[in-house]
Parts: sequence; structure tokens; C-alpha cells
Amino acid sequence: MTQTITIDPVTRLEGHGKITIHLNEQGEVEDAQFHVTQVRGFERFSQGRPFYEMPSLTARICGICPVSHLLASAKACEAIMSVRIPHTAAQLRRVLNLAQMVQSHALSFFHLSSPDLLLGMESDPAQRHIFGVASARPELGRAGIGLRRFGQHIIELLGTKRIHTGWVIPGGVTEPLTASHRDEILAMLPEAYANVSLALAAYKQIADRFQQEISVFANFPSNYLGLINEDETIEFSDGALRLIGPKGEIIEDGITAQHFTEVIGEAVENYSYTKFVYYKPLGYPEGSYRVGPLARLNIVKSMGTPKADHELAEFKQLANGPVESSFFYHHARLVEALYGIEKIEHILADPQILDKHVRATAGVNRLEGAGQIEAPRGTLSHHYKVDENGLITWANLVVATGHNNNAMNKGVLQAAKCYVKDGKFTEGALNRVEAVIRTFDPCLSCSTHAFGQMPLAMTLLSSDGAVVDQVIR
Amino acid sequence: MNQIPIQCLILACGNTLREDDGVGPFLAQWAEERWRNDPRVRVLCDHQWTPDMAQEIAAAEAVIFVDCALDQASGQIMLRELSSASLKPGLVTHHLGAAELLRVAHDLYGKQPRRACLLTIGAGSIELGEGLSPAVRHALPDAEDLLDLTVRQLLD
Repeated sequence: MTQTITIDPVTRLEGHGKITIHLNEQGEVEDAQFHVTQVRGFERFSQGRPFYEMPSLTARICGICPVSHLLASAKACEAIMSVRIPHTAAQLRRVLNLAQMVQSHALSFFHLSSPDLLLGMESDPAQRHIFGVASARPELGRAGIGLRRFGQHIIELLGTKRIHTGWVIPGGVTEPLTASHRDEILAMLPEAYANVSLALAAYKQIADRFQQEISVFANFPSNYLGLINEDETIEFSDGALRLIGPKGEIIEDGITAQHFTEVIGEAVENYSYTKFVYYKPLGYPEGSYRVGPLARLNIVKSMGTPKADHELAEFKQLANGPVESSFFYHHARLVEALYGIEKIEHILADPQILDKHVRATAGVNRLEGAGQIEAPRGTLSHHYKVDENGLITWANLVVATGHNNNAMNKGVLQAAKCYVKDGKFTEGALNRVEAVIRTFDPCLSCSTHAFGQMPLAMTLLSSDGAVVDQVIR
Repeated sequence: MNQIPIQCLILACGNTLREDDGVGPFLAQWAEERWRNDPRVRVLCDHQWTPDMAQEIAAAEAVIFVDCALDQASGQIMLRELSSASLKPGLVTHHLGAAELLRVAHDLYGKQPRRACLLTIGAGSIELGEGLSPAVRHALPDAEDLLDLTVRQLLD
């Protein structure tokens, strides 16, 4: 008899999600989908608003990565204004972006995924959370909290608030950095380095235990998209996008924000409110690709900072060509966190970082503008059209989780085929199917602009569509 | 982080877009201004209390949590001494109660403030919207006075 297994909600994610697994008559997994179940509609209700409100408005999409939306939105506004922001403002925004990346990656690794990695996929669900980790490995609990605080405190020092700061505005930032705040950030660096080193060491120690998970956690050849500098170093704030293929070959290079929609399309499936983003010349779904830490490290030749470059070299030895298993998003995330700390130190060493000129001003000079950055989870693009009064007539946001949507669905199917046998599943098997999603660290609130919770439902459907089993958490 | 020892940490939480849920941020803003020049007092305010605050709590000599309360009459002010509480099974890691946060600080850093208090103001409404209800607005001067008195006692 056919069955349907439902995991609803998916736990330890940002946002609302559901997984449905379809079994055939023989009880084997035939298909699986990852559903994102809310709509928020920022693209619609922002119409009619002045363009300069968009950074502040779109930052409210999310409480974990509001900085990403602030920055992408501000860049889109600056394209409408036709301004180039002062160099110091660009560097300060870079520090803000990197600080957010460190704290977001710390959240993903320590709070959301380390319970599985350090306590085990089959461990007691009642203990399988950050406090269970802290109880078993208190030094890692402290490291996770320390890294989150590091990133959030920098955001607070720069922008007054840790979440939804109003410091980033079209044209630059509202206030320069003071010497005392710079020194306060520099004083935090030694502890941050120690915390990320501890995390990397802990991860490397336990990663080998997960050979089966590595083999089936969204492990397949794919394309990869991410920002890159002209010298092929990693980039989070500027640069242009590069798309590489499964063997690391460049498919397209130099994709700017203005040309983004010429090559990137969005498809819709009836089982999810998150769009499926793809590379138009290859069509959908063949043109699907992955973004985020794994993709970025696959694309770049160098991080551009010494400690992170050492780690990148080790990371690239995982495969001959692009690293394919999404399990290694965890590793890539920690390498990026290390890079973020190094790069912040490098930027703050420049005396120009205290310059007072941090804002350019202008009105509407173009009726369309786009901006793109690398958010912690991957490429983020904001694209606006305005009327002559600067009121938004159209807005489109393409977020990382949309880029990864196809890969997440393929990954869920791959894991389900491995762990759901004879129409039965254990709690640990369900956790592994969820854990595939967690490797991508999706922000479901961003991808649908939905009210964030953390639930997941998993449904098992028979071949005739009847619900045979359901797990709701 | 702040290098001067924090004698009193004021930790407020709330959402200014949910009517009386904004009383925590309102009092935090008042406290920021009130103790702007006193480095012994640190004010933190966020939408909710999160595990990342445990380090600051562990480093403080005293902490005052500030929030609205749904189980008090609208505008009613209460100040309670707090001790750390066990963490509940199935804990959601997005946010913690004040007592749980004290426990996290103790478990992770081996120490917690010598005194911890929870100052709550009864909420009239936490529907979507900005601004405080009349009862909560009316209670603000007394809440500010109580917060001021409590901090001064903790600093002595």
C-alpha cells in the first residue's frame, strides 16, 4: 500500500516549512517536496512607497539577516539616484555585512545544526538543542554565544541597534565610525578568532562520523552562483556574479545587478510559496544552481585573508573539482566566519575608516535600479522601478533560499530515499531529512517574506494521494 | 564589549509595533537617557531575550529584566526577585524567559548576578499598532520611579 509521510513543522529552521514524502506500492520513496507555507508580500505592499523607505521596509522581512536586505535595497536605491557612495561608507557597510555573516553563521552552526553534529542525529530530541550542546560541550556553547555576540555587537556599535538598524540609507550611512568604537571592535577580535578556531576544530573532529549523511545530503553535481572579485577572491558586497558548472567551468561571468534579470528567471511550483530560481539560458529546472557558503567556496580561488586561505585550501581537498555534498555547507560556513573576522580586522586597520564623509545625496535620476550582495545564505538581489516622484511601481526580491529551492527539494528526495524504508521511518531518519534542509540554512521568512516560526510538517502520501502518516513538530 | 564592570544591567524586551508590548523598549530608552553618563549601568533592549545575552548577564553584578506582562492588570507594576530556573524540554532557542536566561548564564559561565529582578507592567493590549494604552501610559512615571530606585539601590 502506498503511503504519505509528512514532517510538519521542520524544526530548527528560520521560517515555516513542511516536507511531504510520497511512497509507492512497494513502500519505496518515489518523490518528496519541501513546501514553504507562508506568503508575506513585501513585493506587493511596497508599491506606492517612496524608494528611500525600501531599505528600512525590507529590513523587516527578517530578524536574522536584516542587514542583507538593508544593503541590497540601498544599492538598488543608489542605482535610482545614480550615485556612488563614499569609499568609507562602502567599507563600513562591508564591516556591517561581515559582522552579520559571522553572527548568522554562528546561529546556523551552533544553534541549529551542532545539536545534530555533536550530539548525534539519533540523540534524544528533548536534549537535541543548543543547551544540550552546552551541557555536553560547554566550551562550544560559549563559543557559539560569543561569536553571535561578536557579530551583533559590531552591528550595534555601527548602527545603534542589533536588529533593523536604520544606519544604512540610500547614499551611504548616517554616521561615521568613532575611534572608540573601532577600538572596541578590535578588542573583541582575539576572542572571536579563538571561538571560530574552536568550532572548526570541533567540526573537523566529528565530520568523519557522518560519511553516510555526506553521501546523501543533497550530494549531486550542480551549478554554483556567487559574487567574485576580478582577482577571483571572495566578495560579499560588490563585484559581479559568476556562474560555474559541475566541473568548475565558468558558464557565465560578470553578471551585474543591472543584468541580473536578463539571465536569472523565477519559476513557480504549486506546492510552495518560495519561487524556484534558475539560469535562463539553460531553462528550468536544468538551469538550477546552488548559492551560499558551499557555492562561494567552490567559485573563488582565494579568500584573500591568510587564515581563511589556509582553510580554503583544506576545504578544496575534499573533492577534485567543486565540493558537491551539501553537508559541507557546515564546513564552508565556518571558513567564511573566519574570513569575516580577518577581513573586519583588515578594514579597520585603514585610518580612512574614521573619515567623516559617509553619505552622498541625490534625488531620482533613473526610473529603475537594482542591487545585489551576498547574504549569509547566498546571493540576494533587490530590483525596483519608480515613477518620476520616486514612488515604487514595481519591486522584485530574489533571495538565497529561492536560488537554493530546487537543490533543497532534490536533497530532501535523496535523503528520504536513503532513510525511509518499507514505509517506516524512525525519529532519527526524520531528523536527517530535516537536517538536509538545515545544511542550506534557509531563511524561509525571507523567501516568502513570511512571519517567522520554526515548525515543520512531514507528510507521507500514498500513490493515490491519500495521507498515510504525518509527523508534526 | 564594555571594559568597565557593569554593576547594573537593564535588559528590556518588547516590540514597539505591538502596542503595550513596547513598554519594555520605552523604559529602556528612558533608562539609556537617565544613566547616559554612568558607565556602571548598561541598558540592552531587543525584541526578545536570547541566549546571546547570557554572557552579559554573567558579567554583571546585578540585572533588572523589564517587560510587559499579560497576567497582570493593565498598568499594574510588579517588581520580583528572580532566581534561575531549569530549562524546559523542547525549548525554542529563539527566545528565553528571564529565569531561564539566568540559568544559561550560570551553566555556561559558572556565575550569575548577585541580584536579579523582573520589572513588569501589565499590558492592556498587544495588538498590532504603535503607542501605549492609556493605563500603561499612566503607569509610566511610577514604573520609571521604581526602576530608578531599584538601580540606585543596586549601585549603593
